[in-house]
Amino acid sequence: MGTATAKKLDPVLEELVSIVGAGNASDAKHIRYAYSYDLSFVQPKLPDYVAMATTVEQIQEILRMANRRKIPVVPYTGGTNIGGLTIPERGGILLDLKRMNRIIDIDPLDGVAVIEPGVSHAQLASELTKLGLRFGWPVGPPSASVSSCAISHGIGGLNARYGLQSQEITSMEVVLPTGELVRVGSCAIQENAWHSTLPMPKLDGLFKGWLGSTGVVTKLGINVHPAPPLLKIFTVSCDNVADMYSYMLNLSNYEICDDITAVSWWLSQVPIPYPYKPKPDEAAEWNSYATTYSWTEKERDAREEIWQKVVSDEQKKGTSIQITHYPEEALRGRTQLPSQVVGSTKNYCKQGGAGISWPGTFTPAKKWAPVYTRWRETLIKHNLSPSVRMSMYRGVHYGMLRAMIPFNKQSAEETENARQAIVECLRVDLDEGGIPYKPPVDFAKEINARAHPGYLMLLKRVKEFLDPNDIMNPGKLGI
Amino acid sequence: MEWEIPSLKELEHFIWRCTACGTCKVAYDFGPPATCQPICPAGEEFGFEGNMSSKGKIAFARGILDGTLEWDDDFLEAIYKCTVCAGCQSQCQLDHKPYIPEIIEAMRRKAVEDGAGPLPLHKNLTQSLKSYNNPYQGPRRLRTDWMRQFKKEGQPIKNLNKEPAEYLYYVGCTGAFNQQARSVPVATAKIFQNLGLDFGCLGESEICCGSTAMRVGDAGEFKRVAGENLALFKKMKEERGVKTIVTSCAGCYRAIKKDYSLSSDYAQIMDGLEVIHTADLLNRMWKEGKLKFSGDLNMKVTYHDPCHTGRHLNKFQIDKEGKELWPGAYLGMSEEECLYDQPRELLQALPGVELVEMERIRGNSYCCGGGGGVMTGFGEWATKNAGKRISEGMATGADNMVSICPFCHYNLNSGAKQIGSSMKLMDLTELVVQVLEDKG
Repeated sequence: MGTATAKKLDPVLEELVSIVGAGNASDAKHIRYAYSYDLSFVQPKLPDYVAMATTVEQIQEILRMANRRKIPVVPYTGGTNIGGLTIPERGGILLDLKRMNRIIDIDPLDGVAVIEPGVSHAQLASELTKLGLRFGWPVGPPSASVSSCAISHGIGGLNARYGLQSQEITSMEVVLPTGELVRVGSCAIQENAWHSTLPMPKLDGLFKGWLGSTGVVTKLGINVHPAPPLLKIFTVSCDNVADMYSYMLNLSNYEICDDITAVSWWLSQVPIPYPYKPKPDEAAEWNSYATTYSWTEKERDAREEIWQKVVSDEQKKGTSIQITHYPEEALRGRTQLPSQVVGSTKNYCKQGGAGISWPGTFTPAKKWAPVYTRWRETLIKHNLSPSVRMSMYRGVHYGMLRAMIPFNKQSAEETENARQAIVECLRVDLDEGGIPYKPPVDFAKEINARAHPGYLMLLKRVKEFLDPNDIMNPGKLGI
Repeated sequence: MEWEIPSLKELEHFIWRCTACGTCKVAYDFGPPATCQPICPAGEEFGFEGNMSSKGKIAFARGILDGTLEWDDDFLEAIYKCTVCAGCQSQCQLDHKPYIPEIIEAMRRKAVEDGAGPLPLHKNLTQSLKSYNNPYQGPRRLRTDWMRQFKKEGQPIKNLNKEPAEYLYYVGCTGAFNQQARSVPVATAKIFQNLGLDFGCLGESEICCGSTAMRVGDAGEFKRVAGENLALFKKMKEERGVKTIVTSCAGCYRAIKKDYSLSSDYAQIMDGLEVIHTADLLNRMWKEGKLKFSGDLNMKVTYHDPCHTGRHLNKFQIDKEGKELWPGAYLGMSEEECLYDQPRELLQALPGVELVEMERIRGNSYCCGGGGGVMTGFGEWATKNAGKRISEGMATGADNMVSICPFCHYNLNSGAKQIGSSMKLMDLTELVVQVLEDKG
C-alpha cells in the first residue's frame, strides 16, 4: 500500500489523498511506525493513517470526513511531549501539522505574534531576535511547537514575569472536531485584531489544556515582549528543600525576576544520573538560578541589591542559603533558550537511554517541600534520581514541581519501573493539591479518581458538545 | 584483510540511545542572534516523521530490529530517501550521535544482505562497479580522456604504473567520467604542474574508491574495490616512492580517510602515506609561499561545504570503556579534520575574490542533495535539492558558488540550470588555475 501512488487505495486513504494530495497521506506501516512512540513510557500504538495538512481548509475537510466515518484524529506537531499525548489510543488519522509553519505576523507595536501550529521554538526565536523581541522559551527541544506548548499550559523562561505560555495566548483560530472554523478572542470580532482574549468570554479555555481533544488550533496569537539587553543570573544553593522554598517565596514577592527556578542536585547534572547515584556529601542538594533582565546597568544593580537583601534575610532566618556558582553547562543550557543541551535531550535522557517521563505538576509552593521529600524516597526506592525542578509562577505562590525521570527504554522492565515510580509520585502530589499538566492517560485516571463529580460531568458535557463523535484524540482525558 | 563494518544489530545499543526528541530536525544555534534553518533535505521534501532527519531513520531501524517493519518497495525506497549528509548528526547531543550515518548505512547493508536492496537504479551502479570498476559504466580507456590536452601541450601527466612520483593524484570517477566535472582534474593537474609538483596518476588502472557502493549498502563491492586500492597504495608506496595521496574529490577523500580505516590492514598500509585533499594541499603550499597568484578574478563568490569534506570528518570522543561516564558515552566532538577553513582561506587569498557566506555553512551546511545514492536513485529530487542550495547562494548576492567536490559540482550546476539561475558552481581549483602566477 503506502503513499498515494498505490494502485488500490483504502477508501479512507483515497479520501485523504484527495484532500491533501499525493505524497501527503499514507497508510504505509513504516510511515505510521515513526508516529507510534515518543520519549515517554507510554506503550507504542500505531495510527492507521498519516496525513500532512498544509491549509486550514484541508484540516476542515479531514475532520468532516473523520466525523462522517467516525475515525479518530490525533493532531501532531513536533511530537516532543513526554506524556504520550500524540500516541493514538484508538488508531485513526495522525494529522501532522509540521508543514503549517508560517509565522503570519509579528507586530512589535502590539507585542503580538500570529503563528501556525508547526512553528517551532527555534524558528520563532530566530525571527523575534531580529526584532529585539522575546518569548518564554521552554527547556524542550528547539524543534518543539510553540503552539502546542502554549495550548497545553507549557512553561517557559519568562514564567515568573508573564506567567505560563497559555497565559500569553491572545487569540485563536480553531477547526472544531466537526469541521467548522471558529475564532476566539479579539480576532473573532475583527479579523486582523489578535491582541487579546479579553474582555469577551474566555472561550480560549475550550481549547487549552484539553490535550488536543477539542479541536485543531490553526492560528495562534501570542504576546511577545521587548528583550532587555542586560542579563543577570542570581544563583544560590542550600542543603534542603524547605530552605529553597523559603528563598524562592521571598524573592518572588519582589517580582524582579523572569524565572525563579530551583533544581535538585540530580537535575543540575548534565546528564541526570541514571540509575540513581548518591549526591556527594559536599554538594548542595538544591541549586537555584533566577534570571533577571534589565535595560540599564542602574536597573540591574537595583535588582541585584534586592536579591542581596533576600539572601541576607534568608541567612538571618538561619536557612542554609548561600550564594554559589551553578554548573556552567547546565546554566548555559537553562538560560540560553531554546537549547540543544537541556530539554528532552542531553541532560535529561542521555544516561538513561531513550526514555524520559515525569510527574509534571502545578503545585502550591508551600507543598513543595513535603511532596519533594516523599518523591525523593519513592524515586530512590526505584533506583531513580530525584531530579526535581521547582519554578515559581507569576504573582502566585504556586508553581511547577516536577521530576524528570530518565530510563532505559530498551528494557521493558526498566520502563515499567519508571512508570510505576512516576505514578506513585503523582499520587503523592495529587493528594497534596497538585495537578499534573500534559498528563498521560495513567495520570488522567488518577486525576479523575479524585475529581469532583460536577467537574467530570462538565468536562464530559463540553467534550460531547464540541466533539459529538469523540474523534479528537480520544481516550486521553480518561473520561 | 578483515573489515570492521558494523551490522545493524551490532549498532542496536546506539539505536536505543535516540529519544526521538527531534533536536536533529533543524539547524539551530542560540547565537545570539538565534538562527534556525531546515537541515534535512529528505525531511523538507517528504515531510513524514520517518523521512525526517535521524529521528525518522532511527525509527525505521528500530522497526526493522523489533520485527515490526519488513521490506517492501515503499519501505526500501524510504531508507534510500536520505542523502546521508549528517546534517542531523550535527544537531544531536546523545550517545548515538557518532553513529548516525553508520546506522543509516547499516540499514541499507541489511537491505542488501536480505536481498531487498539496493534500489534498482543503484543496482545499475553497483553492477557498473563490478563490470567497469566505476559507477558510470565508463570503459577504462575513457578514464584518461581528461589527460589528453596535457599530452597535446607537451606536458603529459606521469603514469605511476611506469614512473615513480612523490604524489599520487587520485582523480576519482566523477572527475574522470563526468563531462561537466572533468574541468576539476584538468585544473588540478595544471596547478600541480605550475607548482612543479612531482605527481602522477594511475591512468586507466585507477579504480573507484568504493564510496558509492558503501553509501548504498553494498559492503561486498566496497570491500572489493577498497581492498584493491589499498593493495595498490601499498605498491605505490613501496615501488613508486609515493608519499602522498591527493584527491580533489570529497567522496574519495572521505572513503580513503574514513571508510578504509575500517580495514584491519589500514594502519600498516597507510603508514608513511598521507592522504590529503587538493584544497588542503594548495592551502598549505600557499601558506608556504610556493603557490602565488596574480591577476584579478573580479568575482563575488559564496562557498558550499561538501558533507564529505566537512562534518563527515568530525572526530568523536567516545568513552569506550566508561572511564569518564559510561561505556559508549559520547563525550565531545572535534572539527579539526574538517576542511572548513582551508578552502575559505585560499578563496580569500585569490586576487579579486570577495567571499560572502550563506546562512548554512560549515557543520550546518545544507547538502547539495545528491549524496547517499540520491543522485542515482532519485535524480529529480537531487536536482531540486541542488536548486534550493543555489537559491540560498544567490541570496548572498554572489556571482558564483565555489566548492571542492566534483559530485557537488555536477549536482549544483544541474540545480542552477533547473531553476534558471546564472550562478555556476565552480571548483576551487577552477578559480585558482585562472590566477596562477606565471612562472615562465
